[in-house]
Amino acid sequence: MSLSIYNARLLDPASGLDKTGAIFVDRGKVKDIAIGQTTAHADAKATIDAGGLCLAPGLVDLRVKTGEPGVEQRETLATASRSAVAGGITSFVVMPDTKPVIDDMALVRFITDRAKTSAAARIYPAGALTTGLKGEAMAEIGLMANSGAVVFTNGDLPVANASILKRAMAYAASLGAIIMSRPDERTLAGSGVMNAGELAGRMGLPGMPVEAEWIGAMRDTALAEATGCTLILDQVSTPRTVAFAKAARERGAKVFTTAAAHSFFFNERDVGDYLTYCKVNPPFRDEETRLGLIDALKRGEIDAVVSAHDPQPPEEKRLPFGEAAFGAAGLETVLPAMLSLVHDGPLTLLEALAPVTCRPADMLGLPQGRLTPNAPADMILFDPGKPWLCEREHLRSRSTNSPFDGRRLQGRVLRTFVAGEEVFAHESVA
Amino acid sequence: MTRAAYHYSFDHEHLLSIEGLSPLDITHILDLADSYAEATRAGIRPDPVLKGKVVVNLFFENSTRTMSSFEIAARRLGADVISMPVAASSVKKGETLIDTAMTLNAMKPDALIVRHSASGGPKLLSRKVDCAVINAGDGTHQHPTQGLLDTLTIRRTKGRIEGLKVVICGDIAHSRVARSTTQTLHLMGAEVHLCAPRTLLPSGTETWGAASATTDFDKALKDADIVMMLRLQLERMDGAFLPSRREYFSFFGLTKDRLALAKPDATVMHPGPMNRGIEIESAIADGEQSVITEQVEMGVAVREAVLHLLAGGRA
Repeated sequence: MSLSIYNARLLDPASGLDKTGAIFVDRGKVKDIAIGQTTAHADAKATIDAGGLCLAPGLVDLRVKTGEPGVEQRETLATASRSAVAGGITSFVVMPDTKPVIDDMALVRFITDRAKTSAAARIYPAGALTTGLKGEAMAEIGLMANSGAVVFTNGDLPVANASILKRAMAYAASLGAIIMSRPDERTLAGSGVMNAGELAGRMGLPGMPVEAEWIGAMRDTALAEATGCTLILDQVSTPRTVAFAKAARERGAKVFTTAAAHSFFFNERDVGDYLTYCKVNPPFRDEETRLGLIDALKRGEIDAVVSAHDPQPPEEKRLPFGEAAFGAAGLETVLPAMLSLVHDGPLTLLEALAPVTCRPADMLGLPQGRLTPNAPADMILFDPGKPWLCEREHLRSRSTNSPFDGRRLQGRVLRTFVAGEEVFAHESVA
Repeated sequence: MTRAAYHYSFDHEHLLSIEGLSPLDITHILDLADSYAEATRAGIRPDPVLKGKVVVNLFFENSTRTMSSFEIAARRLGADVISMPVAASSVKKGETLIDTAMTLNAMKPDALIVRHSASGGPKLLSRKVDCAVINAGDGTHQHPTQGLLDTLTIRRTKGRIEGLKVVICGDIAHSRVARSTTQTLHLMGAEVHLCAPRTLLPSGTETWGAASATTDFDKALKDADIVMMLRLQLERMDGAFLPSRREYFSFFGLTKDRLALAKPDATVMHPGPMNRGIEIESAIADGEQSVITEQVEMGVAVREAVLHLLAGGRA
């Protein structure tokens, strides 16, 4: 089936394109882009007049947690994918910390097969770096890679034993596999539940100091340099962590960084009256750190922005702050969080889109995340100025613990396409 | 200005923290508590302003002293009191704090007095119930009635709060008393200095209202009007936080020689329970300058005042 979307503001951060035009899609791929054209392609069987709205690549998200298999009451691949496409995310990587842990090729295949039959978005499994995420023995990285795992990670539990991590990195490097690691020295951060500092002290809550992230980043970066491994520092939350990665890269290391979209939007004060929806790991940092992180994003030093989608059922969040689970549902708020940086001034639209489209795709070597001929026709049509009230009961995730609950946001996805097929239409256009 | 000379209404629904109270609110509570303390000393039974009211003591953490203090206060005012040491009940079977709150709320109490090991626990509960919630200590966050009773004790001993130099020494990091008392005294015009080993002294204490934070106890004690010692959480002493009890006492224990560095009429306080010979010498704890038993007495008076204001109609 062929489709032409015309009279659109075409946005492609990969090529720097920001012009009115039309796109022609055939057999799931972009066939033609016509700059300046405000009419449909002559060969198209279906046409959409975008009315000047933005057409951009679908978002690529490197960090999503579901509960499938094992904790389906939290989230399934299907429910996560419905939420994802509503938020404009057309490809995402699922983390391996399920029950059982995704640490062998059969489970990797389970995820890929299940995604094909039940999900609206493209789903890529991350394999566990160590068996059972215990940090004791290397998982079967090669076999899992052959089965479709795109990255290897210990999830929220960094490998404490540096020797095991170094060996895993060396092994992964020999296969060309990518390791994603949360920079987090647990012996420093272990009991913390929010950002360490004055506010944590006043609220009587144990803090997670920024030094824990720095020490973790320094260790992981040093090991990546020593082994030649490609490393993604997962969800950095301070500009200094970004600087460590940048310095390593300047020395020739293959070190990338990601940050969670909510880290640019909230600061530690949003925890307010012990709001457990704002309990995330890494925690919301202080305002100066948040602004520093935005500066790093503006300079292009943060390679990808992730949803860090970590849905938690109510029984895990309806607890005193210290006892509640970490994590926030985030699939539907990545784009508005990024657009808030455009509306507030620091970023251009293309700068806001690059870390959620072409850059994460490039890190994994995926062809999507761009509007170029022969790229997969994964696209979103969105209104960057559309105001809306984020209410958790309207989020499509199975668990809806969002720190954005009750916030007024601007920017809404109206249509989402995967391989040229419409997989989501906002009620206003459906 | 006397109390009758101005129009004032205590408009708080709960008492979860000292934050949010104004100096006028605190003065109002202390004045009322003062009158209750005097009535008790004179052997006068107070008006049963809580007659027909149900007060529930909900203690998720053991504390015989505080629970008894609240219970006596509520009974003196005529309330029906149910004390529930929840630590030993259904919560152990997986029921959450909110489940417990909802169940109790259905029984229509007039006040819930809550102690919980998690900071913010009573706050969470207050969102789910219709009655007044009084925080009787939450994690390392707040213990507001302790801050008020300390302040009342000082006011009665010194006749004022404003301008006094108060030194609080001990395990500041883990102390909800330190947070509450520092905030209360600061709001009422005292100059509060905090002192502890570096490992037990959190950053940002200036936002609590502390004038300074130091590791030099001797220096801090100079010209102090009040010396308040805090309980050292012994379970945290070995290993990470301190080298030994002996070393702690050597640098931070209140001895006779050390007390001599403060003003000659300095008052000694301790919220209890005390670790004698570790935080404070027995002779000082039981000595003439100590008002430790009066703190316990004022605890009941302050809790009578708070219950009166929150559960018994406005005073």
